[in-house]
Amino acid sequence: MLKNALLASAALLLLGGSAQAATWMGGDDQPTNPLACDATPPTAVAKPYDGGQATNPADLKGKPIKVVDVPKLIGIGYFNATSKGIADGAKELGNVDAKTDGPTKANIDEQITFIDNYITSGVNGILFAANDPVAISPVLKKALSKGIHVVGYDANSQPDAREWFINQAQFNGIAKSLLDNMVKETGEDAGIAIVTSTFTTPNQARWIAEMAAYAAKCHPKLQFLETVEAQEDNNLSFNQATTLINKYGDKMKGIFGMTSVATPAAAEAVTQAGKCGKVAVIGLATPNAMKPYVAKDCVKSVVLWNPVDLGYAAVEVLRAVVDGTLKPGATSVKAGKLGELQVVNGSEILLGAPFVFTKDNIGKFDF
Amino acid sequence: MTKNILVRHETILAALLVVALMVLTTQSSHFFTVENLLNQARLMAEMGIVGLGMTFIIVTGGIDLSVGSILGLVAILLGVFWKNVGLPLPVAMFLAVVAGSLAGLFNGFIITRFKVPPLIATLATLALYRGLAEGISESRSVRGYPEWFYVLGQGDVWGIPTQLWVFLALAVVAIFILGVTPFGRTIYAIGSNAVAARFSGISVNRSLLAIYTASGFLASIAGVIFVSRVSTTRSDMGTGLELDVITAVVLGGTSIFGGRGTVVGTLLGLMLMQALKSGLLLAGVKGDGTITAIGVVLIGTVIVSNLFRMNTDG
Repeated sequence: MLKNALLASAALLLLGGSAQAATWMGGDDQPTNPLACDATPPTAVAKPYDGGQATNPADLKGKPIKVVDVPKLIGIGYFNATSKGIADGAKELGNVDAKTDGPTKANIDEQITFIDNYITSGVNGILFAANDPVAISPVLKKALSKGIHVVGYDANSQPDAREWFINQAQFNGIAKSLLDNMVKETGEDAGIAIVTSTFTTPNQARWIAEMAAYAAKCHPKLQFLETVEAQEDNNLSFNQATTLINKYGDKMKGIFGMTSVATPAAAEAVTQAGKCGKVAVIGLATPNAMKPYVAKDCVKSVVLWNPVDLGYAAVEVLRAVVDGTLKPGATSVKAGKLGELQVVNGSEILLGAPFVFTKDNIGKFDF
Repeated sequence: MTKNILVRHETILAALLVVALMVLTTQSSHFFTVENLLNQARLMAEMGIVGLGMTFIIVTGGIDLSVGSILGLVAILLGVFWKNVGLPLPVAMFLAVVAGSLAGLFNGFIITRFKVPPLIATLATLALYRGLAEGISESRSVRGYPEWFYVLGQGDVWGIPTQLWVFLALAVVAIFILGVTPFGRTIYAIGSNAVAARFSGISVNRSLLAIYTASGFLASIAGVIFVSRVSTTRSDMGTGLELDVITAVVLGGTSIFGGRGTVVGTLLGLMLMQALKSGLLLAGVKGDGTITAIGVVLIGTVIVSNLFRMNTDG
C-alpha cells in the first residue's frame, strides 16, 4: 500500500513538474532592460563600482605573473578561441604565463575543484567563465582573500566575487540583434523555439530573459514555442533540434541557438530535415562552424562577438589590475590593441557591440 | 598470517598511497601542507560519504548508479522545501534527507521485489531522479541560505572542516558495521553466494533493502553538504559522482562480483584518488592527464591485486 502510494506520488510529481516546465522559456528572473525597437543606441547608465577586491595582493607591478584560465569547459571551438586570445595577449605582454585548464564537461562541481586546486598551487591571477554565478562565488572569494586577482569573462559570477568582468556585449544588445535578425527572416507572426545550454547557465538565462522582454516590446506577435536544453553537447543539440522540427512542423519558423554548439547543430538538423529556407536558424556561433551553412544559404546571419578578442581583453585587464593601472571607479581601460574599453554597470568592461556574420563577411574570419 | 596481511589488497594500496604522496610532494611544495591536505579532505568528504554506502552495495555484488541523481534530487528538494514551501531550514534539511532515503528505498524495492538486476534498476532511477530534479526545479536554482547553513560545507570545527567530522563519524560507524557486526557478515555472505545465503536463513531481501536505503540516505547527507559548500542548488549537481565513487570503491579492493572488500580499502582508494588529482594538478599536469593517471592506477592496482590473490588462493 505504502509502496503503491510512493509510486503514484512519484509519477504525479514527474507529470506536474513537466507540465510546469513547458510554459517557462528559460530566462532568469532578474530585471530586464529592453532596448528601443529602432536603431537608437542605448544610454549608458553610470553605476558605482561593485566588484570585489583582492586582500593584500603581492606587489607584482611589472613583474612576471602566473595566470590560470578556467573556462566553462575545454574542448569546444568557442573556448579554444578565447584561450587563443588569452595566449596572444600573454605573449604580447611578455610577462604573463597563462595556462588554460578546465573540466571536459560544463559542470560547476568540477570547475570549482579546478579553481580550488589552482588557488593552492599559488597562481597570481585567475580568469574564469562561470558555469553558475552563485556556486562559483565562494571559491572565487577564497581566491580574493588569498591575494589572487580574479577577472571573469563570458559568464559572470556574483559581482563581489571578482574584480572585473569582461562583458562581450550588453545582454539587451545581443537580444535585440538576435530578434531583429530572426524577424527579418521569419516575419512578425511566427513560432520560434530556443535551444540553450542549461537553464541555470548565467549568460544564456540572461539573454533569454532580455529576448523575451524585447520581443514583448517590439515583436509582440512572435510566439515562443519551447526552450530546450542541450548542455553544450553536439549530439544532444542536434537531437533536440530535430525533435523540435518534428514536434512543431510548420508552426515553427525559426530556431534560436543560444550556444556556439547549439547553432551549428540546429543548422545541421534543419539541413537534414530538408527545411533549409523554411526554418530560419539564428544564433551565437563561431564563424568556422557556420561557414558551410551560410554558404548553402541555410543560415543567413550569425551573431557573435570576437571570442579571441574577449580572451585578449581579459588577460590585458588582469595585467592592468596587477600593475595597479586599473582601479575601482575607472570609467575605461586601455586593453592593448583593442584600444580603450568602456566600463559599464559598475565593474563590467564592455568588449563592444555584437557582430553579425553574413555571407559577405564570414570568409574573412578564421575561428 | 603476517604474509597474508602483507599481500592483502589494502596493504598494497596503502603502500601505493605512501609512494604517491612522497612522489607528489617532491613535485610541488604546495602539496603536502596542512592547508592543502585539509582542503582536499573537505573536497573529498561528499564522495567519501557516498562511498561508504557504495562499499556495502558492491560487496553484495550489486551496484548503485543513481547516487549522483539522488544527490541532485535532494539538493533541489532542499531548496524547494525551504524556499517554495517555506519550511524552516532544519525541517527542510530533514525532509530532504528523508526523501533521498526513500529514493534509495525505492531502488531496493525494485531490486528485491521485482528481481531487476541492480545495474538496470539503478540505471533507470539515475534517469528518473535526475528528471524529477530538473522537472521540480524547472532548473531554477535556489540561493540565499542563512549564514549558519554554510558552516556545514565551508566552515571549520576546531580547525578541521565540518564535513570531515561528519564523514569520519559515518566512516567509523560503517567500518564497525561491516567489519564486526553479524549484519556485516550477512553482507559478505550475500555477496559470496546469494542463493546459499537465502537457504541459510538469512533475510537477503531485507538486508538489500537496508543497504540501498542507506545508500540513498548517505547520498542525501552528501547532497546537503554539497549545497552548503557551493551555497546554491542546481538540478545538475552530482552528475558523474557515481563513477568516481565506484572507482574509489573498486580501487579499494572491493570485488565487483561481491564477497570481498572493506570500508578501509575504500577510504584508502579515495585518498589515493584525491591525492593524485591534487598532486598532479599542482605538479602542472592538466585535467585530462589526471583522469588518465587515475585510470592507469586503477587498472594497475586491480591487476597486481589479482595476481597476488591468484598466487595465494592456489
